[in-house]
Amino acid sequence: MSASPIARQATQSQAIPSRRVLITDPGQMPDVYSSTPGGTIYSTTPGGTRIVYERSYLMSLRQSPLSNTPPKCALPAAMLKNPSASPVQVLPMPKPRSNSISFDESQETFSMDL
Amino acid sequence: MPGNTNISVSLVKKLGIVEFCDMAGNNAEEVEGSAGADTKNNSSGEIPLDFTIKHPLQNTWSLWFYDNDRTKTWEENQIELTTFDCVEDFWRLYHHIKQPSELRQGHDYAVFKQGIRPMWEDDANKMGGRWLISLEKKQRNSDLDRFWLDVILLLIGENFDHSEEICGAVVNVRGKLDKIGVWTADTSKQQANLEIGRKLKESLGIHGKIGFQLHRDTMVKHSSATKNLYTV
Repeated sequence: MSASPIARQATQSQAIPSRRVLITDPGQMPDVYSSTPGGTIYSTTPGGTRIVYERSYLMSLRQSPLSNTPPKCALPAAMLKNPSASPVQVLPMPKPRSNSISFDESQETFSMDL
Repeated sequence: MPGNTNISVSLVKKLGIVEFCDMAGNNAEEVEGSAGADTKNNSSGEIPLDFTIKHPLQNTWSLWFYDNDRTKTWEENQIELTTFDCVEDFWRLYHHIKQPSELRQGHDYAVFKQGIRPMWEDDANKMGGRWLISLEKKQRNSDLDRFWLDVILLLIGENFDHSEEICGAVVNVRGKLDKIGVWTADTSKQQANLEIGRKLKESLGIHGKIGFQLHRDTMVKHSSATKNLYTV
């Protein structure tokens, strides 16, 4: 606090006024990146736009098909929901198919012999 | 390149709520009001959901897992598994990993802004502290998973007025007390930290007090003996 009163005045911190805008239609978004909804490049620069999602909106995206696809990354077994189910889910799909085909063939061959 | 630009335009245009700063302060009218007619068509007053696109987050977040392997050091046990930067990718992870209550004791999850390690020593954390929510054993079944999800949603949805002060959150699953900590960057910012604490307490519906501790105090003392800098 050794700055001169004028310097202190110049640098005094002040809360940046902010307000919330609810976007209900893509048409309400500005055409250019430098602008924010309801604002212009001059009135909205510091801090800029922040993407905010309320809890209810996030929750409503929970069951979206994209939200239910398996993650791409490899996860340690200790944190997987079903350590046994995850490989089982992947393996049995091709397995029964190939099994059933070979069994069918052998059974058919066998029954024809009879 | 032009193709990429088009894709991001369509993403940005699907955003729910956009918050921004109005320096001039002369645009006082609410954009929200002008869209009233559209909003009312929708029973919930929500934006129609578009399941075909991914909803971008403000920040990219890392998911960390603490493995508690005794042959490794504490730092080696902290594993950064993956990052996510959209709502859907968060849910993909969430749907496929265990809830905190299903983890073995001694394990942790942490979700931090990309580039910040869930350690006191990290440059982003060393001046910081945490809001600490301690859960008794009986709350493991009733509250732990719900609190943890709600904390993550507060973080990635940027629901704090001072969300730039947020570093991340940790859940510790322990024999005695389970703990959820919300880590912030700068303990000297009283107003920001208090706002975060109040919002946290209110959103989770916590009736008792929660305290804010400095990492540099937690470093030298056992967490139960650490004094609170702030309480809400």
